[in-house]
Formats: sequence, C-alpha cells, structure tokens
Amino acid sequence: MVTLTIDGKEVTVPQGTTILEAARSVDIKIPTLCYHDRMSPIGSCRMCVVEIEGFAHPMAACTTPVEDGIEVATISDRLTRIRQDSLKLILVNHPLDCPVCDKGGECLLQDLTYEFGIDQVEYSAAKVDRDSQYASPLIRYWPDRCIMCLRCVTACQEIKGIGAISVKGDGYGAQVVTVDADKCQSCGECLQVCPTGALTEDLSRYKGRTWLIERVPTTCTYCGCGCQLELNVQAGRVMAVTAQDGVGVNQGSLCVKGRFGYEFINSDERLTTPLIKKNGKFEEASWDEALTLVADKFSAIKAEHGPGAIGGLTSARCSNEENYLFQKFMRAAVGTNNVDHCARL
Amino acid sequence: MAEIIFSSWGGEVVDNRTKESQDFEPVNTVDLPEYFRQDEAVKALMGWYGLVVRDPETDVVDLSRVYIQEVQSKSCGKCFLCRIGTKVMAETLERICNGQGKPEDLGVLKRLAESIRESSKCNIGQSGPLPILDALEHFAADFESVINAKKSVTAGNYHSKLTAPCMDACPIHLDIPNYVECIKEGRFADSLDIIREKLPLPGIVGRVCVRPCEEHCRRMNIDAPISIKFLKRFVADYELSKGKEPKFVIAPSAKTGKVAIVGAGPSGATCAFHLTKMGHKVTVYERFDEPGGMAAMGIPDYRLPRSILREEVDRIERMGAQFDYESIVGKDVKLSQLEADNDAVFIAIGAHLGTTMGVEGEEENYDGYISGVQYLLDINQGRDPYPEGKKVAVIGGGNVAIDCVRCSFRIEKDDVHLIYRRTKNEMPADAVEIHDAEEEKVNFNYLTHPVKILAENGKVVGLRCVKMELGEPDESGRRRPVPVEGSEFVIDCDIVVPAIGQTMDLSLLEGREDVKTTRWKTIVVDELTKQSDQPKIFSGGDCETGPGALITACAGGRTAAFSIDKMINGESLDYTEDDHFQKFFSKVKVFDQAEDLGLLGGRERKELEMLDPDTRKFTNDEVEQGFSVNDAMAEADRCLRCYRVATIKV
Repeated sequence: MVTLTIDGKEVTVPQGTTILEAARSVDIKIPTLCYHDRMSPIGSCRMCVVEIEGFAHPMAACTTPVEDGIEVATISDRLTRIRQDSLKLILVNHPLDCPVCDKGGECLLQDLTYEFGIDQVEYSAAKVDRDSQYASPLIRYWPDRCIMCLRCVTACQEIKGIGAISVKGDGYGAQVVTVDADKCQSCGECLQVCPTGALTEDLSRYKGRTWLIERVPTTCTYCGCGCQLELNVQAGRVMAVTAQDGVGVNQGSLCVKGRFGYEFINSDERLTTPLIKKNGKFEEASWDEALTLVADKFSAIKAEHGPGAIGGLTSARCSNEENYLFQKFMRAAVGTNNVDHCARL
Repeated sequence: MAEIIFSSWGGEVVDNRTKESQDFEPVNTVDLPEYFRQDEAVKALMGWYGLVVRDPETDVVDLSRVYIQEVQSKSCGKCFLCRIGTKVMAETLERICNGQGKPEDLGVLKRLAESIRESSKCNIGQSGPLPILDALEHFAADFESVINAKKSVTAGNYHSKLTAPCMDACPIHLDIPNYVECIKEGRFADSLDIIREKLPLPGIVGRVCVRPCEEHCRRMNIDAPISIKFLKRFVADYELSKGKEPKFVIAPSAKTGKVAIVGAGPSGATCAFHLTKMGHKVTVYERFDEPGGMAAMGIPDYRLPRSILREEVDRIERMGAQFDYESIVGKDVKLSQLEADNDAVFIAIGAHLGTTMGVEGEEENYDGYISGVQYLLDINQGRDPYPEGKKVAVIGGGNVAIDCVRCSFRIEKDDVHLIYRRTKNEMPADAVEIHDAEEEKVNFNYLTHPVKILAENGKVVGLRCVKMELGEPDESGRRRPVPVEGSEFVIDCDIVVPAIGQTMDLSLLEGREDVKTTRWKTIVVDELTKQSDQPKIFSGGDCETGPGALITACAGGRTAAFSIDKMINGESLDYTEDDHFQKFFSKVKVFDQAEDLGLLGGRERKELEMLDPDTRKFTNDEVEQGFSVNDAMAEADRCLRCYRVATIKV
C-alpha cells in the first residue's frame, strides 16, 4: 500500500493506483473529460492535471501512478488557468449549435464550460475543413463538434479490439478518420463513449431532447446474452437505445442489433394480433382461436403421420428456461425428438 | 568564429548584446556549429532547449514564427493544448509578422506558451513553446517594434527538423517514439511498419542490439529507460507467432539497375532490402551456406535463434533479391567482374578474422589454440572445435569474449575462465551479458593478462598469466593496466581462445589498390554516402567502420542503398538536409543527461523472464523470453515521447 496526501488529506491506496483513482476513493473530485472508467487513461484533455510538491511540471492525474509520500494539490490558480485554457482552445471553432445538437443537455463539454465559467474565448485560429465520412452509416460524425478526446478510437481498439478508426494528420489538421470501414461492426461503442455530440445516432437525429426522454431499463431480446439496455422513450415511442456504463453483463457495450435494431417496435407493419388465413386471406384472430387451430392441426398430423412428422426449432432470443420448456413440450406433449435451436444451424 | 550574442540554451541565460566583445561571457551549454551547409553560416538556433543568437541581425520574431509553425505541424494532435494552442500561437505570430499584430497578442502568446508547456502530454508540447517564452522575455522590444511598425517582416531562410534523443542516438534513426506509441495503443502491425521503413531485421536487432537509444532515453532521468530493444523484439515475435507474412510494397525508382552485394550479413541484407524495394535487381554473394554474416556465425543461438535470422533474411529473398550462397567474391567471382556486370557493388564482408594477442606460443599453432571468431563459428555450425579439450580460457572483455565463455558450457566444457586485463567496470561487454555469464558461473579473472601459452606435444596445457593493477589513465580515459611484478601464475586449461578483437579479410580487394583502405584494414568511403573513391564501389558494416554494432552495420547498408539508387538515377550524392542535421546534432546534443525533467517517475521498467541459469547453460534454447502483450503495452506506456524541434536560421 502507498500513502500520499491529496489536498492535505491522507490517502492510502494499493501500489499502481493512479492519482485520479486515489482522489476519487476519498471523494475528491478532479475534473476530467477524456477519462472513461471502462478504458485505460487516454490523457488527451489535460483537465485532470494536478501539482505534485517538488516537481516543476503539473501531471495528469489519470495517467500518473501514486508514489509513497507525495503531496498532491488538485486546485491552484495555475491549474485553473490550464484547465480553462484547455477548454477555451477546444471552443476555438467549436460550433455553438447546442440548441440543435442531440447531445445538448448531457454534453460533458457543455457541463465543464459552465463549471469553469468560460463566457468568452480570446483565442482564434482559421477553421479547417474536415471530412465527415464515417465508418458506419448508422452513426453520423460531426467533425466540427469533435474535440479529439479519442475516447472513440480507444474504445474501438481497446474494448472491441477492432481498430476501425484512428487519428490521421498532424497538428491542428489531425482528425479521427476511418482507417478500415470493413472492420467496423456498427456496434456503436464509439457512440456510447462520445462525451459530446460529435457522434450521433443517425436513426434518431432531431427526434427528441434528452431532458424530455424517459430511459426505461430493459433486457435486449435479440439473443440470450441478456445485455442490459435503456429504451429512450418519448411520448410512447422508442427514440433510441442507450446502455448504461458498468451495468449488466455488457457493462455498457451493445452490438449493432441491440443498439440500432429498435425501429420494429413502432413499425406500422408489425403484427399486433395473431392472423389466421381464411379463404386465401389473413384475418385477425384471438390468441385462443389461433392456439386452438395450431393444436388441432398438430393433433391431426400426429394421428395421420405419427409424431416424427413434426419438428420444432427454437430461438436464441429465448431464455434458457423458455428453451428448456420448448424441448420438454416437443418431447412430452408432441412426442418427438425433432427439436433444434437456431444457434446450432 | 563569430561570438554568440545571446543564449538561453539549457536554461542558462548569457546576454552579450550590450557588451563589448572582449567582455563577452562564454556560452557553456551549447556548442553551436558555425556552418549548416558549407556555404550557410548558422546565425541563430531556436529549439527545445532555448534560443541561441549569433548574428545580431537575426529577426527573432520571424524565427519564432517559423519555429512554432514547425512545432504545430509536428504536434501529433493527441492532446488539446498542444494541438490547438500551438496553432493559435502560430497564427498569432504569422499575423504579427504580416504587420497585423496587436499589443494584446503578446499576452496571448505568453499565457498559451505557459499553459501548453506545463500541461502537454508529450515533449513536443512540453518543450515546444519554451524558446518562445525566452524570446518574449529577452527580445520583448523586437516584438513590440514589429507590432507598432505595422509592417510585414522579411522572411528569412531556415532549416527545421524534428528529432528525439533516442532517434538521434539510433544509428539508423528509427522513429522510436512513434513505434513505441503504436505498441502502447495495441497497433502492433503499424509499429512494425514504422520500424521496417528503415530496418528489415526487427527480430534480430530486437535481440542483440547494443541499444544506444536506451542510453539516451530521457525516462532514465526520472527512473529507468524504456526497454526499447525488447519492444522491437516483441512486435517482430508477435507477427511471427500469428504467422503473418509482412507485405512489402515495391515502389520502383524512375531508373532501376543491377547491384551486387558482397556479404549477406546485417549490412548487406539491409542494403538488399532497400534496393529491392526501390525496384533494383539485387544479387547477394555470401561465402557461407546461410545468411547473417557475423550475426549468424558470431552470435550464439541462445541469444539469437537461427530460425529468426533465417526468416528475416528469407523475407528479403521472397521480395525478389537473389542470394548466392557459398560464393566467395575474390575466389569464385572477381570484384572487377561484379563491377563490370553491375551498376554498383556494395561490399559488406564484415570482420571475420580474429586478431592475435602478441603472446609467446601464439604462432605455434598448438592444438587447442583457436581464435574467438573461429570458435564461435564452429559452435554455431554445430561442431565442437576441439572435443579433446575440457578446460577453456577465453581472453578479452567484449561481447565476443562473453559469447565464447557462455558457449563453452553449451558444448559441455566443464571449466571456463574469462581473462581480462582491467576490471569489470572497464569491460566493454554489455552489462546484461556479463551478469548472465556470472549467473552461469563463468570464472572471471579480472586484472589478469596472458604471458605465454604452455604446451606439451603440440597441445595446449595451460596459460601463464600475470596479475595487473590499474595505473594512470591512457588516451581512452581508462586507467592503463600495468603488470604486478612477480605475480605470474598458471591457469590450467587445454583450450585458449583469444577474443580481443577482429579484423577484415580484404583478399577480395587483391589487385585493386584503387579502392583505398586504412591501416586498420577498413575500406575508405564517404562517411555519409558510403561511396568509395571508385564511384561504383560502396561499402558499409564492420569492414567499413571496423568491428562495431549490428545496427550501425544496418544503417550503413541503408545509406548505401539510397546512394546507389541516386547514382543509378543520375542524381548527385551531395549531402542531404538530414545528413547536415546529423552533423549539426552531433554538436548540439539532443540528449542532456543532467536535464531535470520536473516529472514524477517511479514506474518500473518491465524485465524479461529468463531461463534458469543452472539448466539453460547446457542448452542452446533462447535464454531471454519475450514480453507478453500486457507487459509490452505497459512498458510502451512509460515512453515520454521526447520529440523536439529545432529551427536554424542561416
């Protein structure tokens, strides 16, 4: 264990802990922007710089491991100047389109700008035209809103192990670009971690403000993994799907289906009642009617051809219990071993 | 030489501007060369460590503009302040130089320079704005007068360059911070691509390099250097373990030709790689039946497995270079024939002959007396050079001597002595190698010098030695060992292996007096182009430099490849901008061991797992096990990315 002081408070943490983690363990808040709990520290925003007694340079709390006996200060005039300058520089040429930005209201840059009281920026630089092409058609990239925190690049490489996006170019011309669109699985991990409106979901643009949306936690129905997600509901319609970092087996990650495959919920073409074909045309029916019909037909087939003429396929979207019941039904009620599952096909 | 009128280099301010020349204070922190190119006097330098002005006419404002533009263009864009802040600074200075500056601009420059410097992620931002702060402080009047005059300044002539201490120290100037960063980010293939832009042998160099880069690693100033060598090995091994074949793009030059390369060692192989990449038809003539030169014949398998060596050279063959093994130039084919049949010949024959000690009995050809290089060559080819002998005495203090003693165990010699005339502190062998040999229980005889080889019936039976003590320092700065009178004693041994140095077998140059050689038997070529007096003949590696580092040999091969390509394309072989900078940085040091970084250190350097000394010494299995993925990424994360920019006003 290592003991240090942060803002005069003594902290004891295991070796290898970063200064940021040590501070958080005793409820000392150090501002961060690029830091994300699920990834190794990126160190691009420099918001978390702290001073260490005896060392001339401020150091990023997120990337610096603790040392025994160090005295850390998280607040000083110098640190405030650096943090303000970092934010001011980000705001150079950052569009003030918060009113029409899907992230407005839950944007980390907005929050920090407010917190640090940045009401004017005395710095300027010529705007650079940037390419808005992106790895996935399901995600829209707004290069002018991008602050280059590199959470997206890190998430793609580190959480997903894909590396479809990267940084290209030098200096002010550097930007996030797609290096291998074929590798992109449209999982939306980048979207999930973007702290600003630089990446937005392209299915639901301009459909609702974040503060009007109700987030309903649920379990994804696409497969048996049981990923936890949140339906973003406004006025009875699902506007988007998000996931909560650190929650459930998926810890905030989703796949392309879970994150983007929600439009069927409100689809006009969706079946809302069983249909029975009568005289060559589908007609609405009750569940009792439908199930009775199926049971009658199965019994007839079984009587005429034997139970071996019937087979059943079940789905990975079902739970283990449902799958178990299904095979039990096929074996005990129908009397056949012809039962299989789509995961084996 | 014109005197320096101002310097803030290394934080030590010398301001002679208002002094008479006889009262000028000397500048001790930098040795500023007088010329960049022959006809270009160095008037001022702005760089990572300060501002140096020699010519009083220097426009520091314009110099600042050019310098910070260079810093901005080299910023990697991966942290906010450096990426945008240096852009704002560059545009502000551009505006000032265009006569559109405002008095408040100076405040903006100062504030930004401080914020960028104090908080940037890497050294580009941490060191970049430093000389601008010096300029703003000491040349404030210059800035104010440009702003007040509202006229554009005349743009001067400048040369700018990005470097880093490790990159500068590396003989082949690998872009180390870049490839290390790729490892940190998990982009191993990208990392290898960066290495292979210059060096086709990362698996070899990643095992046996003498790593000058690590001796110039700034991380050393706060804890310990990055394990650069083993990171290079890691990416090479990772690719091999995944069974991936690297894709080399052949981009033919406008004109391509035929080139003969003599020697398939590191220098010849590197030269063949680059020439093949440039579309030239290359034939490599190698006297042995396999590639590697001294790397194959002189470095034991437990340090450099043969499979790695063969694979890396075979890839060059698969790219299209032709390798003629067991073909001796000078015997099977004459040098003049190669010269006639090709557009150029690159001689990289290494230094394969052992030098003698000048000890009584050496000329007698006793059984059991074997030169170090021959001893290693035999062992590496799977032979015990003298099965009858069991007790070995190796003389020397370099890596070859250590290889000889460690190899001896591996061919079942029981008693192994190393004899060195100075102490462990003066030993030129790599400290890691010495440590490993100690672990394997070699008997080290320091301060000992051989006097006479003892023999009976033409067979070695012992070595008479004398004890030494260290006297006054000699010209190398090391204390000269002198014999202690009456201290003679005999080491009981039946094999004596002198490993005190190597020399060249220049028999291929017989009858070619027009190709100049030195009295140390090295071939004379231009230091930076590798061309000899005979325009078609180039040379590199040990036969040009004398026995040296493998990476230096690779660098020679690469340089020669580019010179040969230029020659074939009818271009002049004048020194390039990079060559001039190389000379410049040999004076203006890129690394300062005394620099106080002001950063908190304490992050442990990752070490490799090793085989157990008691069992490994009897096998040829590779002793050092490579990094795991996690260790490699953690080690790469220690890199401080010490890129820095220099702008020279000429």
